[in-house]
Amino acid sequence: MALVDFIKRFEPDKKNKYAHTTYDAFFTFLFTPNTVTKGGVHMRDGMDLKRTMIHVVLAMQLCYLFGTYNIGHQHFVAAGEHLGFLEGFHLKLAHGLIQLLPIFIVTHLVGLGIEFIFAAKKGHAVEEGFLVSGALIPLIMPPDIPLWILGVSVAFAVIIGKEAFGGTGMNIWNIALLARVFVFFAYPTTIAGDEVWVSGFESLAPGAAASYGWAHDIFNGLFGWMDLATFNSAATVVDGYSGATPLGLAYNGGWSAVTEQFSVAQMFWGTIPGSIGETSKPLVIIGALILLATGIASWRIMLSMLIGAVTMSIILNAWGATPFMEVPWMYQFYMGSFFFAMAFMATDPVTASSTNTGKWIYGFLIGFIGMIVRVLNPAYPEGWMLAILFLNTFAPLIDHYVLESNIKKRLARA
Amino acid sequence: MELLNIFTKAAFIENLALSYFLGMCSYLAVSKTVKTAFGLGLAVIFVLGITMPINWVINTYLLSEGGIFATDLTFLRFILFIAVIASMVQLVEMVVEKFSPSLYNSLGIFLPLITVNCAILGGSLFMVSKEYNFSESVAFGLGGGFGWFLAIIAIAAIREKIKYSAVPPALRGLGMAFLLTGLMGLAFMSLMGIDPAAF
Repeated sequence: MALVDFIKRFEPDKKNKYAHTTYDAFFTFLFTPNTVTKGGVHMRDGMDLKRTMIHVVLAMQLCYLFGTYNIGHQHFVAAGEHLGFLEGFHLKLAHGLIQLLPIFIVTHLVGLGIEFIFAAKKGHAVEEGFLVSGALIPLIMPPDIPLWILGVSVAFAVIIGKEAFGGTGMNIWNIALLARVFVFFAYPTTIAGDEVWVSGFESLAPGAAASYGWAHDIFNGLFGWMDLATFNSAATVVDGYSGATPLGLAYNGGWSAVTEQFSVAQMFWGTIPGSIGETSKPLVIIGALILLATGIASWRIMLSMLIGAVTMSIILNAWGATPFMEVPWMYQFYMGSFFFAMAFMATDPVTASSTNTGKWIYGFLIGFIGMIVRVLNPAYPEGWMLAILFLNTFAPLIDHYVLESNIKKRLARA
Repeated sequence: MELLNIFTKAAFIENLALSYFLGMCSYLAVSKTVKTAFGLGLAVIFVLGITMPINWVINTYLLSEGGIFATDLTFLRFILFIAVIASMVQLVEMVVEKFSPSLYNSLGIFLPLITVNCAILGGSLFMVSKEYNFSESVAFGLGGGFGWFLAIIAIAAIREKIKYSAVPPALRGLGMAFLLTGLMGLAFMSLMGIDPAAF
C-alpha cells in the first residue's frame, strides 16, 4: 500500500497527455487497476489481455535462451574455434548477448515509442499489444541484421500494420511477420543470401577477419581477469565454410547435400545457422505445448497446418521433378522454421480465422501454400512467413463464408 | 497442363489487381461489401473470359498482316478492343438487370464502367504482347478474371471486418482501402517468381 502511495505521488497531470499515458502504462504494469464493473455484466475472466500476452512471451523464453547461445555457437563454428557445443560456453553466451541485446532494445524502443505516442495522441491507455510482437520480432530476424533496417521495419509494421487499423487486436496482418517481410522485400541486397545467418565477421568469405567491437573488449578484459579463454581478434572464417542454411543447400542439391553439412541431430536440436529463435525444434514444440495447455493457441490451426504441409510434401515427393521435391516428406520438417511458424505465427488469434471451420481451412492452406513456396519458388528460401501473410489476407473472407453457410444451415433447419 | 499453368499464373502469380494494380477504380469503389464485390467479380470474370478470345480472333484475322486484309492494321487495336469490351459489358448489364435487380442496383454505375476497367483492356493487351494462341487466351482471360475476383472479395471481407475497428478518422474509407491494397500486394508476393513451366 505504501508503495502505491509513493508511486502515485509522481503521477503527472492528466492535461499532459504524453507524460500521463507513459506513467499509466508503467503503473498498470506493476499494479492491477482498482476500478470495478458498474454496469450489467459482473462476471469477468481473470484471463485478460495482459495475461494472455504474457503467456505467449513466457512460451518463447526457451527459444530466446537457446537462440542467444546459438548466435555465439554459429560464430565460433565459422571461425573454426570451440567446435563442441558446450566448449567456450562463456564466449558464446557473451557474443550472443552482444548481438541479441541491441536487436531487442531497438525493437522495443522503436515499437513501444510509436505505441506510446499513438496512445497519447488518441487519448487512450497504452495497450499491451506490442509485448508479443516485440518479443517475436527479434526471434525471426537474422542475427547479423543492421539495426537501422530493423528500426525502419518495426516502425513500418507498427504504424502501417497496426496503428492505421486502430491498434491492438484490430490488425489484419501479423505485425511481426509484416516487419520481417518488409526487411525481406525492402532490403534484399543487404540481408538476402547466406551471409546474414552468422554474425561477427566482416564477410563470410574464407579468411575474412572477425569484427569485434568495444563490447567484446570489455568481455575480453573480464574473461582475461577470470583466467578464461578470450575472444581471439585474429580469428578468421575457416576454409570451406559457406554459412548456408539447410534450406539453401536442399534447394540446389536435395537431401544428400544437406546431410553432407549437417547431421539430422544438429538440425533437430537446432545448432544450425538460421533466424535467431527458430532453429531448435524441441524448444519450439515445448513453447507450442505451453500455448496449447493454456488454451491461447488453437490446436485446430496447428493440426491442420501440419496436415496441409504433409499433404503438399507427399504430393511433391510423388512429382519429384527437382532434387528439393525428392526430399522425403518427413525430412522437410527438420529444415527451416515450420514449427516456429506453426506455434507462434499462424495461431495468432487476431489475424487467424475466428470460426472453428474457418480455422481448419486457414491452417490447412497455410501448410499447403507454405510448402509450395518453400520448394517451388526459387526467389524465397522459406515459405511460412509469406504463406501466413497470404492466408491472413483471406482469413476474413473464410470467416465470412463459414458464417454465411452456418446461417443458411440454420435457416434450412428452422 | 500448359493451359493450367497459364491459368494459375494469371490468377495468383501475376494477379491483375495486386501485382499490376489494374482495374483499381472499381476495385476500390465497389469493395465495401462482399456481396456486391462477388457480383462485380463474377462480371469481370465473364467479360474477361469472353472478350479475350474475341479480341484474339480480331487481332489475328483482321488486324495483323497475316489477316484477311493482308495489311498491318494494328493501330486500330485499341478502338476495336474497346468496342468489343463495351458491347460485352452491355450484354452483362442486361443479363444482371434481368436476373438480379438488387445486384444491379447495388453495383450502380460501376457495372457499365467495367467497359473502362483497365484490367479488361490490359488483359487483352497482355494477351497480344505475350503472343498466346486461341485456347491460351481463353485460359489467360479466365485466370486473370479469377485472380481479380479473388482480390476484390478478399478486400471486401477485410473492409467489412475493419468497419468495427477504431481506424483513425483521417484514414477511414478510401485511405484505408489504399493501405489494404498495398499490404495485400505484399502478401501476394509470396507466389511471385514461381515459374510453373520450369518444372
